[in-house]
Amino acid sequence: MILHIDPSNGIPIYEQIVRQVKFAIANGALQVAEHVPSVRDMARISAVNPNTVVRAYRELQNDGILKSIRGTGLAVTAEAPTLCRRIRLEMIQQRLRSVIEEAAQNQVDWDEIRQLVEREIQHQSERSRESKS
Amino acid sequence: MKLKSVVSMQKVSKRFRKTQALDDVSFEIGPGTVCALLGANGAGKTTAIRTLLGLEQPDAGCCRVLGWDSQKYSREIRARVGYVAEKPALYDWMTIEETGWFAAGFYPPGYQPAFDAYCRQFDLDPTRKISELSKGTRAKVALSLALSHQPELLILDEPTSGLDPLIRREFLQSMVDVAAEGRTVLLCSHQVNEVERVAEQVVILLNGKLICFEKLDELKERTREVILTLPESDAVVPDLPGTVLAQATFGHTRSLMIQDLNETRLPDVTQNGLVLEIRRPNLEEILLGLLRERRQFDNSGREMNGPDRS
Repeated sequence: MILHIDPSNGIPIYEQIVRQVKFAIANGALQVAEHVPSVRDMARISAVNPNTVVRAYRELQNDGILKSIRGTGLAVTAEAPTLCRRIRLEMIQQRLRSVIEEAAQNQVDWDEIRQLVEREIQHQSERSRESKS
Repeated sequence: MKLKSVVSMQKVSKRFRKTQALDDVSFEIGPGTVCALLGANGAGKTTAIRTLLGLEQPDAGCCRVLGWDSQKYSREIRARVGYVAEKPALYDWMTIEETGWFAAGFYPPGYQPAFDAYCRQFDLDPTRKISELSKGTRAKVALSLALSHQPELLILDEPTSGLDPLIRREFLQSMVDVAAEGRTVLLCSHQVNEVERVAEQVVILLNGKLICFEKLDELKERTREVILTLPESDAVVPDLPGTVLAQATFGHTRSLMIQDLNETRLPDVTQNGLVLEIRRPNLEEILLGLLRERRQFDNSGREMNGPDRS
């Protein structure tokens, strides 16, 4: 599992780790019962402070996404994929909300926003159709 | 014995002729912490490190490292601390191997095998002469020397300036390894984005004064940048709910770095037609804001004091 940590994007680093693990589970890059790298390995690979990784893993355990398997490390729980897919949807909703907030702050009116969203959806679905054919 | 602080400076001042290098500086670093020492060039960072190691005597105040008084126990401290200086002093006529063997004489047994292991890890050819090495390779030798006695505290003084991204990443990873073993790191660097990845605590010095000593998380959590668009460039900026650290004007927009911003009270301010944007600044932006603000402040102070800058 490879993390892309950007310390300067305003989201705390432990939160970035939490999110990326959740996304990896949601899209199947991490499977049920699979182990995540140890704290030390994860810290080393992504060059972040080990304590930050500890904090991220603790939060993932509290959320029921990882559980500790005695003697071996932390593994993805059986409920994790469902949970993570829901969380992923929530995060995307939040991102969408902040985009719409930004548009509203800049006096873009609702119809214009709707048109933009429609156009983007159209654009994406055409592209995915093209890549399939 | 469990130490409360691995590094401590209490009201330390140091003057070199006309330059006040350190001015009443106090901070403490707990065990197992990665602490970054930041500040502009000439802010006193290297002097702080040299004073901690007992290489400079402070004019006032007291330094302790690993519980030892820096003034009295410089040797004991240096035997237990790993130090990578900005320009590592190595004997040019020795090979890497010989350098490790020479250094091993100063430390307990086990130093040389550890040094050899680091050389392999950093892909160093032990038979090469120091004089033939590139800047990056020299830095790796210096790091290997500093790590081989398993120091309880690792001090790095701009170790990665002028090094390529791969070597910088290797340095960062060895720092992570040191921290993972519960040892302490004091890092002085201008690569703020790298510092941001690994540091838990930051100490910011400016003209010898301590202007910030805080946990990095908290500093970032408490600080916001508010961008205001004013109707006219000379319009008065309303009072914002929070402590203003720094501000800068770009035509009609005014950027304010604010600590402990009370966002619930912001709507009162925005009523009179100001466009607001609130951002979470990164460490570099906070640092720049603080340094710029203080520079303006100091310049105006100096102008008031006398005409010596005409």
